[in-house]
Amino acid sequence: MWADLSRVGRIWRRTKRRLIPAIAFSAMLATRNADARVKLITLPVRERVEIQLDNPNATLVEEERVVPLVKGENQVDFSWANTQIDPDTIVFRVIGSAEEKKSEINVVAVSYPPNEASLAWTIGASDACSARVRISYLLGNLTKSFAYRAVASRDEKHLTLSQYMRVDNLANEEFSQSDVYAGFGPTFQKPIGLNETKEILVDKFEGVPVEKIYSCNPQESDYLDRAQNKLRVPMHYVLTNDAAHKLGNAALPYGKVRMFIEGAAGSAQAGTAFLGEDWGKFTPKDGEMRLYLGVTQDVVVKRTIEKSEFKRVTGNLFNHDIVVKYEIENFKKEPVTLNVAENLTYLRNEIHGNTSREVDYELHNDTTFEGGPDPEHSRADQLEFHAKLPAADGEGKAEKIVHRLHLTLKNEW
Amino acid sequence: MRTVFRFLVAVTATVGIDNFSDAENIDLSTVPARNAVQLTIYNSEDITLVRETRVVTFKKGSNPLQFSWANTLIDPSSVELRFLTSADKLEVADTTFPHDKPQMLYWNVRSEMEGEATIQITYFTSGITWSSDYVVIADKDEARLDIDGFVRVTNNSGEEYENAQIRLVVGTINLVEKIAQLAKVPVGEVKDMDGAKLGLMRREVLAESIDRSASGGAANAACMPAAAEKAIVKEGLSEYFIYSIEGTETIPNGWSKRMRSFAGKGVPMKVEYRYRPKEYGDQLVRLYLMTNNEESKLGTTPLPDGMVRLFRSNGRGGLSYLTQQVTKYVPIGDKIELNLGADPNVVFELKKVRMSREKLWMQLHGKNTFQEVGVDTTETEQNSTVVGWDDRWEYQQQIRNYTAMPIDLEVRRSFDGDTVFRSRLEPTQFDYQTVQFTTQVPAGEKKELAYEVVQHQGRNAKQTHVTIEAADVKSPR
Repeated sequence: MWADLSRVGRIWRRTKRRLIPAIAFSAMLATRNADARVKLITLPVRERVEIQLDNPNATLVEEERVVPLVKGENQVDFSWANTQIDPDTIVFRVIGSAEEKKSEINVVAVSYPPNEASLAWTIGASDACSARVRISYLLGNLTKSFAYRAVASRDEKHLTLSQYMRVDNLANEEFSQSDVYAGFGPTFQKPIGLNETKEILVDKFEGVPVEKIYSCNPQESDYLDRAQNKLRVPMHYVLTNDAAHKLGNAALPYGKVRMFIEGAAGSAQAGTAFLGEDWGKFTPKDGEMRLYLGVTQDVVVKRTIEKSEFKRVTGNLFNHDIVVKYEIENFKKEPVTLNVAENLTYLRNEIHGNTSREVDYELHNDTTFEGGPDPEHSRADQLEFHAKLPAADGEGKAEKIVHRLHLTLKNEW
Repeated sequence: MRTVFRFLVAVTATVGIDNFSDAENIDLSTVPARNAVQLTIYNSEDITLVRETRVVTFKKGSNPLQFSWANTLIDPSSVELRFLTSADKLEVADTTFPHDKPQMLYWNVRSEMEGEATIQITYFTSGITWSSDYVVIADKDEARLDIDGFVRVTNNSGEEYENAQIRLVVGTINLVEKIAQLAKVPVGEVKDMDGAKLGLMRREVLAESIDRSASGGAANAACMPAAAEKAIVKEGLSEYFIYSIEGTETIPNGWSKRMRSFAGKGVPMKVEYRYRPKEYGDQLVRLYLMTNNEESKLGTTPLPDGMVRLFRSNGRGGLSYLTQQVTKYVPIGDKIELNLGADPNVVFELKKVRMSREKLWMQLHGKNTFQEVGVDTTETEQNSTVVGWDDRWEYQQQIRNYTAMPIDLEVRRSFDGDTVFRSRLEPTQFDYQTVQFTTQVPAGEKKELAYEVVQHQGRNAKQTHVTIEAADVKSPR
């Protein structure tokens, strides 16, 4: 009987090389005699396929077939070749009888032949009927990734964000009409051919408010010119994944974001220019996706340690009084807000060397940044301030804005 | 290769038992067929007890029987012959293991009667294994789930046991030698005889204990309706649990067969989120919790170790794959915990708001008077070193729940040394250095839980455990 079942699989594979996995059905009457030459095999076709891509680490394929069953025991053979089906994950579920008959259908046992990519279900049926069954399995080499296309408005206040899901089918299996589910949003009905990559537009968000930020943080982005104490000033678009920013339906998955900017009025689409690309990290609802645009040359920040005063408290215990001066010029024709971040451990190590202690500090009132440190973006060892910079005048001359950060690093030894 | 049992007649039967293996070149033998075979398979060790019965016709006097098992994984020291009928008239006079045929033995049976008798041959073999696995499908709302337990028997023993009654033993047994190793050497070459004898004795004891439950085993295959799923009868015995598969099964060599051992429908479950870095790593994980008892529509059997594959109904008639993991043995009445890993819809972040040092203690030491060379002035200074202080951290545990359901969280945090945990979170002490607190976050809402940790360092440290204090956390300066 087992040899016969294997033969069923082989016949099927010979006749339908491309359509694997295959399912063959043979009634027990026909298979009792292993040497029988005359046998009948039915080949139930796939009625429906769903590809579930909601799990980040695995792809679940569910296929629905109508399997004719005789009363009593039936053997249903399922085989596959050159595909990475994990046989231990195969789940066989009877959805019901195709003719609405109330037949009792049970999976009696599953048999796994040696050295073959196949298995055989022994199915018991109370009546002859056609059973609608769902076969689910994890399939390797059918993977997904996400990509985004962001087109900024001319004034860089809004974005049109298109979210794409890319399905790479290297599973050696063809899915003619499949329902594809990304884990959020609608289900797409798409054919996915052999070795094909299918890019599907999942959603398009129009008029998404975007914030363009300029920031400096010597610990993260270093100096542009160390000799002149000029800091590097990276630029980012910041998207907030919430309803107020016309997003927030679901988390934004990790993916590459290609950024463009609209051309002049009248040729907004035709004149689109490429701004660059960045990896957008996984962004939960309410989270911020920061997209790096490059380093600006039009906002110049000079950072100087204006004061560094070692004050011994007693014995080997000391405090360190520090003033950091920031001289900032905005050569752009529009006003800009600069985020100035200072990592206090970096600052301590820069001035005093690494004592390997966490930083205890006291911020003094003569720190000039308006509003003090931003509580949302500051933490125990890093302070972030915002500096409002006016636009350069008509001749392109920038006003020099000077801010000072005055703090005492306490209780060091 | 099959085991072969031969009843040696004619030429060899008339000569002395010592001569039949090599003195005569002309042999005649009959091959009594197996009447029944029973396999008792252990999952904690690679061992299966095979019990086969055959009917043999004896003549009065000496009856030579040959039993061979070429290319199988049978432990030669475990092969035993017993007489189920006419036991008072039959006895094994001697057993011979021929030196030139390692996988063979001869029994010389002395009979006081003429006629049929049912004999039973038992032995241990390697290569037949069984394992458990589970398919769990939660409903869309994650309030109930269906759990199907399966047993999968794999036969790589080299022998085909047709129509065998199969019994599976859940539990751990002790063996001093591996059956697969014993199967490869002739019985005379088993080096450690004391160990072998001990092992044999233990196996005999085990076999006897299994024997006692044999009568209550599987049902007759003929009674089974054609379309029915085979029942698996479960019974406790000593420290073990025995699953008897209804009817008989044929599992050819190299094949495996999987059958459902139990089904729990509509099992009540609870979802809980846990942060336990020692158990689950540095992440908040989502768990399905249920209990293996009757109230939970389970509890008919302990759940042996096995792979659990977890799905959830997606509300569109299909499934979502959640995860798979190996679960440990779950006794009846114990909890079942399935870890689904991190949930992208729940954001769990710990923000360190402030750090400060307090209660600094100095140790005075050495000479503390200084004089500049050539100048008649002295300065006195307290020369000292920091020897004790308190590190104080203020934390905000931020939780954002973007699921459609309220969530229950449990957080455990461990601290070294003499530490004070200060909050209004009503925490409990899990162990001497671990604090545990719980909270609930409604659907779509956020929570910020403030707490403060003070760690006494140096001479300020007086003990090595965490102390819980109920107090408002100081606001950041």
